[in-house]
Amino acid sequence: MTEPQLSRAAGARTTRRMENWYRRLLTLYPKDHRREHAEEMVGVLLAAAGQEGVGRAQRLGQHVADSADLIGGALRIRGRMALNRVKRARWLSWKVRDARWSDALAVVSVVAPLLLLVAALTEFRIPQAVASSLTGHAHWRLSETLTLADLPMAVGAPGVTVLAFLRLRRLAGLGALATAIGQMAAGAVPAMAGYASPAVAFTVLLSCTAAAALLLSPGPDRGLALLTRSGAALVGASALILGGFSVGGNVWFGTGDAGFGDFGGRVAGLPADLLIAAVLVTVAAGCLRAPVSRRVLALLAIPVIPYVFLWQEKLAGDLFGQPGTAAPLIPSSIPLLYLPPLLLACLIVAGTWLARRRATGRADRVGSSGPRSAVSA
Amino acid sequence: MQEPTFLILTALAAGAQHGYGIMTDVTRISEGRVRLRAGTLYAALDRLKADGLVTSDKEEIVDGRLRRYYRITDEGAAELATEVRRLRANAAVAASRLGLAGGTV
Repeated sequence: MTEPQLSRAAGARTTRRMENWYRRLLTLYPKDHRREHAEEMVGVLLAAAGQEGVGRAQRLGQHVADSADLIGGALRIRGRMALNRVKRARWLSWKVRDARWSDALAVVSVVAPLLLLVAALTEFRIPQAVASSLTGHAHWRLSETLTLADLPMAVGAPGVTVLAFLRLRRLAGLGALATAIGQMAAGAVPAMAGYASPAVAFTVLLSCTAAAALLLSPGPDRGLALLTRSGAALVGASALILGGFSVGGNVWFGTGDAGFGDFGGRVAGLPADLLIAAVLVTVAAGCLRAPVSRRVLALLAIPVIPYVFLWQEKLAGDLFGQPGTAAPLIPSSIPLLYLPPLLLACLIVAGTWLARRRATGRADRVGSSGPRSAVSA
Repeated sequence: MQEPTFLILTALAAGAQHGYGIMTDVTRISEGRVRLRAGTLYAALDRLKADGLVTSDKEEIVDGRLRRYYRITDEGAAELATEVRRLRANAAVAASRLGLAGGTV
């Protein structure tokens, strides 16, 4: 092979190496940009590299500068795309795509703020105070002055309910989120460590559920349209549970000698528990027939899980000793109170995602088989 | 308007050009002061196309490589004319304050 032929072959090898290198760098660009411009960019890069009268050292410098410039270009284009996405995004406009889960969340966006309000009323013994003022019963009295730890619920619960029913869905959702964060922050302060009880875990998780329902669903309008007679009964039963646990039990059914000051005294007696459980189970069984109701129950189970611990603590008192004095079978702890609801929430999200993937797969299969059958026909 | 953008629009104001043609023309217009590289050029073209100031024109294959031509749109020409007026007005003020009015700036 002659010297010019050898030189040409070496030049072709260098060009091929450079082309491969530029193509590797072009993978940094967005796919659409690559499809549109990759070929012409490679052509421009090789044309610029092949300029006559450029020395070897200068060519190397140019190659390095072109490579750095390609990386910079990819970063600029990707940065601009990200910025455009942020500008175009309609904040707080995410919705659950699955129609059934969306409807279930809409129902919960009505139920959860109401339950939050009931929880706040019972926590601060408002019904007792009202009853006391009406009947003059000395045993029912308003709780002590509000502490800092009580503020998130005292302000958040009525605020969220009012905003939800004023159809200010996003604001109500953010309010519910702030209520949950406020309660967790109050629980995190060492002086308020005792605040991390099952009852508080319930209101924290209820606030989170209300926030998710208000922010991710069409909102209370749709929820109210969907609430059937059994749905309304479910709301009533849930409210009864809360009210029964905290107020009614030991007044109407309980032993009557337990004071309101201790934790055990604030929950209902065993007969009231059984009645409330029977009502809830009956309504829940009725609701299980409809797919949306099943989802509503799954969502409401998230905040209700801590009540299992509350209940077993109370049952221990009812069955084996005075309320609040017997040792519970499972002492409640923060991981025990919050992890199972978190796991359930994760399972719901994962289940929804899997169902959507299956539905998309089915739609794709139907879509791809459609034209084939049309052709064969 | 940034200088590379101004120079790309100026290069295309004379007629449609392909990528490498724009690069060499920009170097010529700026008398070697600005040397566009492929990454910068195509990031700028991408933005100018998105803004509707430049559009793709014809395509051809030369030596087995794709060449796509770009041309300035009416909107791009109007934008360039506005920028020219702004720069000219600024230059006139600067020249008069330096006592160069009537001379070369």
